[in-house]
Amino acid sequence: MLWHKAWLETRWRFISALLILTVLAGGNVYDYIAAQRLLPRLNATTTTPAAEATGLGDALREAIELQKNFRGFIWYQAFRQNLTQMGVFFAILLGCGGLLSESSKGSALFTLSLPVTRRRLLGARAGAGLAQWLAVSMIAPLSIPILAPSIGEHFSIVDALAHGLCVFFVGAVFFSLASFLSTLFGDIWRPLLIAIGIACGLAIVSFASPQLAIFSVMDGESYFRNGTLPWAGLLTSAVLATALLYSAAETLERRDF
Amino acid sequence: MSDRTVIETAGLWKRYDDIEALRGLDLRVPHGSIFGFLGRNGAGKTTTIKVLLGMARPTRGEARVFGLSPFEPHSGVDIRGRVAFVSDEKDLYDYMTVGEIIAFTRSFYPRWNSNLEQQYLRKFDLATGRAIKGLSRGTRTKVALLLALCRGAELLILDEPTSGLDPAMAEDVLQALVGHVAGEESTIFFSSHQLNEVEQIADHVAIIERGQTVVSGPLDELRAQYQRIQLVFDGEAPDIRVHAPGTHSVRRKGRVLTILSAGGGTAVVDEVRGYRPASIDVTPVTLKDIFLESVKTED
Repeated sequence: MLWHKAWLETRWRFISALLILTVLAGGNVYDYIAAQRLLPRLNATTTTPAAEATGLGDALREAIELQKNFRGFIWYQAFRQNLTQMGVFFAILLGCGGLLSESSKGSALFTLSLPVTRRRLLGARAGAGLAQWLAVSMIAPLSIPILAPSIGEHFSIVDALAHGLCVFFVGAVFFSLASFLSTLFGDIWRPLLIAIGIACGLAIVSFASPQLAIFSVMDGESYFRNGTLPWAGLLTSAVLATALLYSAAETLERRDF
Repeated sequence: MSDRTVIETAGLWKRYDDIEALRGLDLRVPHGSIFGFLGRNGAGKTTTIKVLLGMARPTRGEARVFGLSPFEPHSGVDIRGRVAFVSDEKDLYDYMTVGEIIAFTRSFYPRWNSNLEQQYLRKFDLATGRAIKGLSRGTRTKVALLLALCRGAELLILDEPTSGLDPAMAEDVLQALVGHVAGEESTIFFSSHQLNEVEQIADHVAIIERGQTVVSGPLDELRAQYQRIQLVFDGEAPDIRVHAPGTHSVRRKGRVLTILSAGGGTAVVDEVRGYRPASIDVTPVTLKDIFLESVKTED
């Protein structure tokens, strides 16, 4: 029944995440029609000297080149941008809340009076949230191979699932970060804003140090370029997510209500 | 701890930042009693309840429920499986219906009494399809009490159980609580500001002030023990000090001197006779008198 409670608490966030990410991923399939008309007209062979000096020119040329075929377009638009950026936001949103935020609504004492440990309460909430995040991570990418034939294109289901796995694992880190922050702050807004701030900080660090680019694990760049899943990145994400959830459980255990 | 003691605290301290919520609280709640837990706002009642349920850890001292520590995960779960708790605010899950929260709560308690559930649904006129969000405070209280009474708990801990109820419903609830103790052989530990209600159903009381127990015991014994001695003088009442054991307070107003004794009163009467008052009246006191005197003397 704790799982049912967690579902009732988060169902609207889950449904919003599922709908928005699926519409964004599916929408990218139809964007390809317009992109096919526009991309050949773009000329990025020469850009400004400043852009060339910072490497922006190369990045632009690569982006245009990649998007000339359907697989490249989908990776760049759906996995590299929409599902990564919005995915991080929704993973954080799903991770926010829990026992401490129940205090502000007053129902925490009722929950704490039940014959269950705090670890089990957190476990049910995290389990339900991660299950929701797994569903979002898999269903949204699957809309691509389902819709691709409608515009005469093909996208492999295995590729969609592989990218979905990358989205899930890295998203789970942000989910767990939000869960941990939710054991420190009683409202939903501070964990949300702090976690988003950390995600933005990591994005900036990724530009400066590509080897720390957690988002290139999330968008499955290595899988797109050479068919290899980023195992080290996925494993690191799993370890980080577990460590954050463990810290959340420890913090909750010691907390006074 | 005695087998017949359900709750016991010894030298319980709880500090929140710079506030001492409990300062060496000692408490013993006997099995099968209806125990009224009284104190002013901020006296430490809710903190005590939170400590007993493992929701807050004491700074020092000991708390035991059924002889178990509420702060160890397994014994804490064991305690909460045998206790029903209704908080002051009666806040439940807004996103559930009455039926859903009953089903949710029932799933944690193998001894849940479904017949009693149906009985209270009818008695409290509760519709299972109604959303908790739309319920009045009074109706929420009824739902919270139903959830507490049906789980087959050995100990009910109730924080202001009748707040938000009209007098008729409050009376029904009080009778339900008394009937519950008789039928289920359980213990009720409840805090209330309604002293007449406590006096009506409690057989034991404790009064706490600033985190310490100032009065505790069986209500009948306290009533017998506490006496008000009123002396009326022909002129202005003298400013005297009473040394008789059990003297709780001495108040002087015009020609009248009022003494509250917790020692039966005889020794006080013997002592004050020497001041030659025009009249001496010894009268029994109410719980309200004991409460007011107990918390006043701490000021």
